[in-house]
Amino acid sequence: MAREAPPALVEQEFILNALKEDIRLDGRGVDQFRPLNITFGEEYGHVKLQLGKTSLVVRISAEVTKPRDDRPFDGLFNIAMELSAMGSPAWENGRSTDYETHVTHVLDRVVRHSNALDTESLCILKGVSCWSIRADVHVLDYDGNLTDAACIAVMTGLQHFRRPDAVVRDGQVIVYGVEERVPVALNITHKPLSVSFCTFNEGHNILVDATRKEEQAAEGEMVIGINNGGEVCFVSKFSGASLDPISVVEKTDVALLKVKELNTQLDKVLQADLAKRAKLGMADESRAANDR
Amino acid sequence: MVGPTASLSNLHRADGSASYKCPVTGYDVLGAVNAPIELPARKDALKPEDATIEVFVKPGKATAGVGERYVERILRTMLEKVILGREKGLPRRGVVITLAAVGGEAAERGDSYITIIPALLHASLLALISAAVPLSMTFTTTLLGVTRSGQIIRDPSPAAAKAVASLHVLSFSSKGHLLLSESQGRFDFETWELVRQQAASICRAVATTGSDGDTDMGEGADGAHVDAFVRETVEDSLHRDYTWKLESA
Repeated sequence: MAREAPPALVEQEFILNALKEDIRLDGRGVDQFRPLNITFGEEYGHVKLQLGKTSLVVRISAEVTKPRDDRPFDGLFNIAMELSAMGSPAWENGRSTDYETHVTHVLDRVVRHSNALDTESLCILKGVSCWSIRADVHVLDYDGNLTDAACIAVMTGLQHFRRPDAVVRDGQVIVYGVEERVPVALNITHKPLSVSFCTFNEGHNILVDATRKEEQAAEGEMVIGINNGGEVCFVSKFSGASLDPISVVEKTDVALLKVKELNTQLDKVLQADLAKRAKLGMADESRAANDR
Repeated sequence: MVGPTASLSNLHRADGSASYKCPVTGYDVLGAVNAPIELPARKDALKPEDATIEVFVKPGKATAGVGERYVERILRTMLEKVILGREKGLPRRGVVITLAAVGGEAAERGDSYITIIPALLHASLLALISAAVPLSMTFTTTLLGVTRSGQIIRDPSPAAAKAVASLHVLSFSSKGHLLLSESQGRFDFETWELVRQQAASICRAVATTGSDGDTDMGEGADGAHVDAFVRETVEDSLHRDYTWKLESA
């Protein structure tokens, strides 16, 4: 199967007609996200995210490498996302689809090119060694709005991740293990997130966080990447029906509101997890018995 | 010893899925099976009366490389023997098995790759069961390492696997046949025989008969048998699936 099975025509009609009365299939508001659930694994930077029925896992890892010759002061940061048959039977293993290119492009633009992660702080020794940060996105279940889900998960992962401490002594790079020195958090300059909009009925209905069925019934799509301060770092209108410029401006405000909401939620989850970890760490240290 | 944990059918989109977590070796694998599925043209032309099995292994924190291709081949050749690809509805269709290391340990560069095979095989078996793909038998797999002093250790972690003289992965069918034997390192045939015996007793709950006619009741101290674990997991999930029927009866 090379592409997603489209919904029946009657179903599409139903979605569109319901939208004319401002009703969504799952009863959400027009600017409402599906319930977002974020949990963390044992290691740092291991994020499990569920947005409605879309679910994915992000794993952040760090490695010492040589910086690129033309950027001796910069570390490396990569987002690797490969859609496998696990997420949807429509995706073939080992072959990239247009959708994959689209999502990786948005992620790259919103997170990497907006310099959300300060790559200069990843430099250890100029031109010799630097950290290479890698974010692996594994899509487990696909039910629409992969871009936003992946963006939220990658940003959470970056804020949650701790890399081992490294120092330079007499021109030698020493990397300390996690047990020897407290690992260091990454330097996040700002927190951009993407918000995708789907348009229906000649631009009359513009929805946030569309499910797979809504995405298939949509006539066009628009993605806005914006941070907490209201700085737009990415706008795309790749395909589909044309859109009124006024609604682009209007939806930017909606996106800002959504990003602020999401970021407060993320902060809460991150704080809770860090507090839990601190407590566990203290309990470990104060325990008299040896680990058997 | 802490036994592995597993759960079935935790994904929505895939036809069948299973997660398998082994705290001893530290692997955490999620498996998804799509079957029977239409394959792109010409892939099925080689064996028109059989199903095509595809295995895809996705590492957790790296790009897939030679190691993944190597284990994929091992898994595919073994699973092709177990899956009944000639059953109704399966010929000329694909059975696509996707396995991803979604957590836990990962083999580092240059490490032996066969340490992950038991986790991958168990995840794919449970996912195949969850997808209701016809199988001729179930199987269980174990990883054994032989230290330089000749001691056999069960399920060495990736760190411990670096220090051993040889590593062995053995897989036994539910009927007791040896399905897979992959070894790495230096060892002689006597060692392998010892390894095989221990692996058989770990994998199978059925008492094995020793060469002297004595019935060996298996390793009581080593905890549950892998065979029993697989059975219990499947029984549990079936019980949950049929609650409606059991309660009404």
